[in-house]
Amino acid sequence: MAQVPCTHCKLEFDESVMIKEEESGKTLYFCCKGCEGVYHLLNAKDLDGFYEQLGNNKLEPVKLDANDDLERFDLEGFKKKFVKTTKDGFSEINLIIEGIHCSACVWLNEKVLHQTDGVIEATINYSNNKAKVIWDEDEIKLSKIIETIRAIGYNAYPYDPAIQEEKAVKLRNEYYSRILVAVFATMNIMWIAIALYSGYFTGMQQSKKNILHFAEFVLATPTLFYSGSIFFRGAYYGLKNKFINMDVLVSAGATLAYIYSVYAMITKQGEVYFDSVTMIITFVLVGKYLEILSKKKAADTLDKIASSSPTEALVVEGDNKVLKSIEIIEEGEIIELKPGEKVAIDGVLTKGKASFDLSILTGESEPILKTVGDEIVSGSMVIDSVIEYKTTKRENNSLLHNITELLSDAITKKPHIEQLANQVSGYFSVTILLIAIATFLGWYFIVGAGFEKALIVSISVIVIACPCALGLATPMATLIGISKAAKEGILFKEASKIETMAKTTLLALDKTGTITVGKPIVVNYKEYRDYDKNLLYSLVKSSNHPISKGVKNYLLEHFDLKELELQEHKELQAKGVKASYENSNLLGGNLELLKHNSINFEYSCDNSLYIFAIDGEVVALFELSDIVKPKAKEFIKSVKKLGIKVVMLTGDRAEVANKIAKEVGIEQVEANLLPQDKASLIDSYHEKGEIVVMVGDGINDSIALAKSDIAIAMGSGADIAVEVSDVVLLNNSLESLKDSFVIAKNVFKSIKQNLSLSLLYNVIAVPLAVMGYVTPLVAALAMSLSSLSVVANSFRIRKS
Amino acid sequence: MSDNIIILMLGISTFLGALGLWALLWGLKSGQFNDQSKFLDTARYDSEEDYKDAVMMEQKKKDAIKRKKEKEKNYMPND
Repeated sequence: MAQVPCTHCKLEFDESVMIKEEESGKTLYFCCKGCEGVYHLLNAKDLDGFYEQLGNNKLEPVKLDANDDLERFDLEGFKKKFVKTTKDGFSEINLIIEGIHCSACVWLNEKVLHQTDGVIEATINYSNNKAKVIWDEDEIKLSKIIETIRAIGYNAYPYDPAIQEEKAVKLRNEYYSRILVAVFATMNIMWIAIALYSGYFTGMQQSKKNILHFAEFVLATPTLFYSGSIFFRGAYYGLKNKFINMDVLVSAGATLAYIYSVYAMITKQGEVYFDSVTMIITFVLVGKYLEILSKKKAADTLDKIASSSPTEALVVEGDNKVLKSIEIIEEGEIIELKPGEKVAIDGVLTKGKASFDLSILTGESEPILKTVGDEIVSGSMVIDSVIEYKTTKRENNSLLHNITELLSDAITKKPHIEQLANQVSGYFSVTILLIAIATFLGWYFIVGAGFEKALIVSISVIVIACPCALGLATPMATLIGISKAAKEGILFKEASKIETMAKTTLLALDKTGTITVGKPIVVNYKEYRDYDKNLLYSLVKSSNHPISKGVKNYLLEHFDLKELELQEHKELQAKGVKASYENSNLLGGNLELLKHNSINFEYSCDNSLYIFAIDGEVVALFELSDIVKPKAKEFIKSVKKLGIKVVMLTGDRAEVANKIAKEVGIEQVEANLLPQDKASLIDSYHEKGEIVVMVGDGINDSIALAKSDIAIAMGSGADIAVEVSDVVLLNNSLESLKDSFVIAKNVFKSIKQNLSLSLLYNVIAVPLAVMGYVTPLVAALAMSLSSLSVVANSFRIRKS
Repeated sequence: MSDNIIILMLGISTFLGALGLWALLWGLKSGQFNDQSKFLDTARYDSEEDYKDAVMMEQKKKDAIKRKKEKEKNYMPND
């Protein structure tokens, strides 16, 4: 059978499955009811011009969504969060329109909104599908507007134009206008300057020169005072804080040249340097603008994570369901989620089962199936069915919120090397000013070159030596590094941690849960005499240790059990658990625990042991073995290749530890450690001058983690990781641990390259300028090129 | 070439250039260049209809503001 295109969406399907319709002698085909509905609607509204514009583009078939969530758009909480009031008293909202494929879609949406009564303004950005709608609240409700958009086959949801983005866009536009003015003036001044230069050689009447000088003056003035006002502002704040920065140098250079030129123009003596003034401003401005652009790119990465947070959730209260703003939802409330909805608050699944998409958090595209009792983290998305879950946190403690906070913090906290660079550039600026003054005095008094020549040479020195590149070197590289890492699910809590990470010399790994999967399974079971399995079950159930869990799982698989009420329950760190039940003392743990309680028992094997004793008599023994994580061996190998020593720290017995260490290729193993031993080991590494990254599970390694230079928690849930780690690995994999080392090293390498690049540039350029080989114009160009090379070098991190 | 002619030529050309610059800045400020692809499409699909549309929107806005003002004027607290 022939394939025919759907009249609305243009996708081709088999003729037999299409909805056929006759209209004024033509046969129309529709792939679904949705497309049919939209087609007729567009015809009725006289908007069939849409299909002309559509051309060869194809659309998605129209989904007929239920419109039962519309009332939420008119809720007070929603309005408070998203709707702004314009100065004319209208309401304004930012929406993201889903389903836009081509310019025709933009046209159609705008057209339909324009025809809707009460809509005052509707503009849709084609590149990012964001729309701004202004409407009159007295005439139309927002829900009606959303309904209109849905009726033509698209969907709209609100977004909070995150402050980061709005600011960045505003800043960008401000720079645009300034650059436009500067470029316009520079271009025109260059024409006039060419006339002046040729006049200089061929002889030009003073009266004509005066006219040209005046024209240059007219063009240079707005450039200096409008385009250049950014530098004046920067210089003012710098000086106010007793800090000489690059803005001081730029504005000093440009202003000096300007004042001298005005003087030359009025007295009709000497040359004018208005062309240098505009050039300096233009080049430096463009360099600064490039910096802004890359900052915006980093902000975009942040917004991608933040915008995935929903604003309301459907709370189940008895038989009723209420839509509540997520800020007011308390712990312990039940929330219903439909397919496609995102989780805003952490919790535990209570009803149903569904696949979850965790890709925003981990970058992993494989969905994960969760059933009743499983933990649900904010930021994940339900894919296939309706579920209910109970919140265990409030929104402001939930994972997604923490991650967003963390990322914006990371950008503001500066690494040491940047503080250093800023300090250096401060001293540097002062030095350059002094050199410039010395140059002026030298040329004027010693060489006897005259006021004009001396001034121009010293201006060149000031301009060429701008420490832009110096100031840019670190922030550019860290910013790009942080955003690249965030994309791969690695969050650096502070930019300074990148530096520490890059300098790491020793990596201390916990065994359980880091190198191994952390879920030991029973491989051997010995029963010395018959005993009540329920006692053992109750004992292991009370402990969260992976070994206890392994035994518990084994018991559950093999016996019918019920829980008993135990007394005097006590957990002994790194040994086991102690409790009593109706006059009998129960002990469950390793050999160490037995020794501690003076029970004589010998047993030797290279697996982990769990021994159960009742009243001092060993009744059962379990041998457990953990599986090494896949790719652990490759990971150790590649970390070693980076020049980092690897040590394994574990509370487990030496036999077990050595077996695992051999398997993955670690030579240095410290076994039988109590948590405090691990911490003191870290201290001893510090004494040897090592910079230590500790990877542990975040719960019983917490002291060691706190002592290390960089703590990374792995394998114990994302919320603990966010809390204790300096570097958060959202997908918990050894690979991303390796990646974080690689990224940190790359960033640091690039920072060092940037710094030496700018240093080298100054070492060459400044002496040339002092000797008078460089005109202010060339100086401005050279300076911009040095900033550009630093920016370009930093962008190489993205590629690596 | 007399000085006056140079003044005239320089003055007029700079003025015209400045006019163009002003238009560009205005366009930038009113957000006309925020969306690159749409900006180009406007040129591609330029039609009388779009013009009418823009006029209609402007009229709508004016009306809405007028209505709002009237409402404020006629506002009486119910006592």
